[in-house]
Amino acid sequence: MSMSKSSYSQYNRKNWEDSDFPILCETCLGNNPYMRMMKDKHGRECKICERPFTTFRWQPGKGARYKNTELCQTCAKVKNVCQTCMFDLEYGLPVQVRDHELQIADNIPKQGANRDFFLQNVERTLGQGDGTQPIAQIANNMDQAAHDRLRRMARSQPYYKRNAPHICSFFVKGECKRGEECPYRHEKPTDPDDPLSRQNIRDRYYGSNDPVAEKILNRAAAAPTLSPPADTTITTLYIGNLGPSGAQQVTEKDLNDFFYQYGDIRCLRVLTEKGCAFIEFTTREAAERAAERSFNKTFIKGRRLTIRWGEPQAKRAADNSNYVTPVPSVPILPIPDGLAPSTSSQQRFTGSMPRPPAPPTFAAPTRLVVPNVRPVKAGEPSSSSSSIYYPSQDPTRLGAKGDVIE
Amino acid sequence: MSLATKLRRVRKPPPEGWDLIEPTLEQFEAKMREAETEPHEGKRKTEINWPIFRIHHQRSRYIYDMYYKKAEISRELYEFCLTAKFADAALIAKWKKQGYENLCCVKCVQTRDSNFGTACICRVPKSKLDAERVIECVHCGCHSCSG
Repeated sequence: MSMSKSSYSQYNRKNWEDSDFPILCETCLGNNPYMRMMKDKHGRECKICERPFTTFRWQPGKGARYKNTELCQTCAKVKNVCQTCMFDLEYGLPVQVRDHELQIADNIPKQGANRDFFLQNVERTLGQGDGTQPIAQIANNMDQAAHDRLRRMARSQPYYKRNAPHICSFFVKGECKRGEECPYRHEKPTDPDDPLSRQNIRDRYYGSNDPVAEKILNRAAAAPTLSPPADTTITTLYIGNLGPSGAQQVTEKDLNDFFYQYGDIRCLRVLTEKGCAFIEFTTREAAERAAERSFNKTFIKGRRLTIRWGEPQAKRAADNSNYVTPVPSVPILPIPDGLAPSTSSQQRFTGSMPRPPAPPTFAAPTRLVVPNVRPVKAGEPSSSSSSIYYPSQDPTRLGAKGDVIE
Repeated sequence: MSLATKLRRVRKPPPEGWDLIEPTLEQFEAKMREAETEPHEGKRKTEINWPIFRIHHQRSRYIYDMYYKKAEISRELYEFCLTAKFADAALIAKWKKQGYENLCCVKCVQTRDSNFGTACICRVPKSKLDAERVIECVHCGCHSCSG
């Protein structure tokens, strides 16, 4: 059977692809908003399915090499990848990394009639939709944690260094005569023993033996993680590397402005001379969220903040037992559930079990979550009235929402 | 092709003043011969014709200057040189237009031959290009022939 366009498409659904615009990632498009592209109808065969497709060629910004599309659009849509660099369109990560994180075992046929039949079915599916829905296995993966992990691995900015010209092979041999005029890079070549110098299109596309993916996965595995402590009463985070005290130091306001997005902040103490801060959230969930989302990637005033979990207060309280002085004016009342002073041995109640009344003792509690007594001011007669003091009544308290009344 | 052969093809005796330009044209002819016989090994495909274009430009420029700038040759001799193809009439026609005074070759202003309907990179004035970027146009190896 001849490979001419007309007769071929009559007997088989395997059509020659014609398109108006390529499917590309941001990096491959480059930083120039005024770009010109050359279109070559049925210009080359797809590197994966070997069918002719419409290629595009363009220069992604100043000083970049000309790039062109390598895959046909059907192949690109099957894997949701860029037609040129074959990285995932959403995250800019290799297919192998994405499939590993999302647990996609995509065993699509790689050659011969099986491949052609598979692509024929894919094209039929694509023809039914409006072209915006994802297809294949990517479509039905909704694992949010995996997507979060991928987002963390992905670059936040397009990586234009990838568009740089190739290294001049003549320069490597020491015989490039073009000198200044040479459009290729005059640089030391990469080590040939480096696995990164052995990449190929098919492995990248099918997500197997991809050295780039291996590197990214290794780096992700080696990255430090912040595991929340077992003691669930801890809601305090330590924040370090605020810088030396002075105008350049990260201020309380900076921290508050950044961390309030994760939940209500109960207390924020900045130790200016030590260059660190302790931030206490009202809920454990907020603290966990803050730790997870801000760890190792929080930049304020150009500094990467160190984030760690606060130590259990019980340990510190044991060191100095007069950490909380008992106040005799407080009437003995059953303490509200959320404000109960808890020791590390005492677990928080979750059910509606009736609590035993607090023992009428003035022994120092090992840990006090919120001082539920009004701070005694000097000169003010200590009233022995039995009105309950709620922390939210105090306008000068940190984290208060209302206006401060002097 | 030697100068004598070219003269024989015109089938007319050269006009008055031929003796003035003959030695220079002989030299150009020898240079062209040398460029033609030079081996192409180690050269890029586009580079091969660059010396031919350069000598062709220089020779046309010589005839052009002798007639229009210095006025040392007669109109008959100038036209004889054009018919004998010692000078490129098309190129000289461009040189008479404003902005094209130093045009390197006719190929570089042929917009139909480019992808986006533009002239060659050597037609971009130096002031509009990057200072550090060195360019050599693919057609004739021109660095810049405008502004």
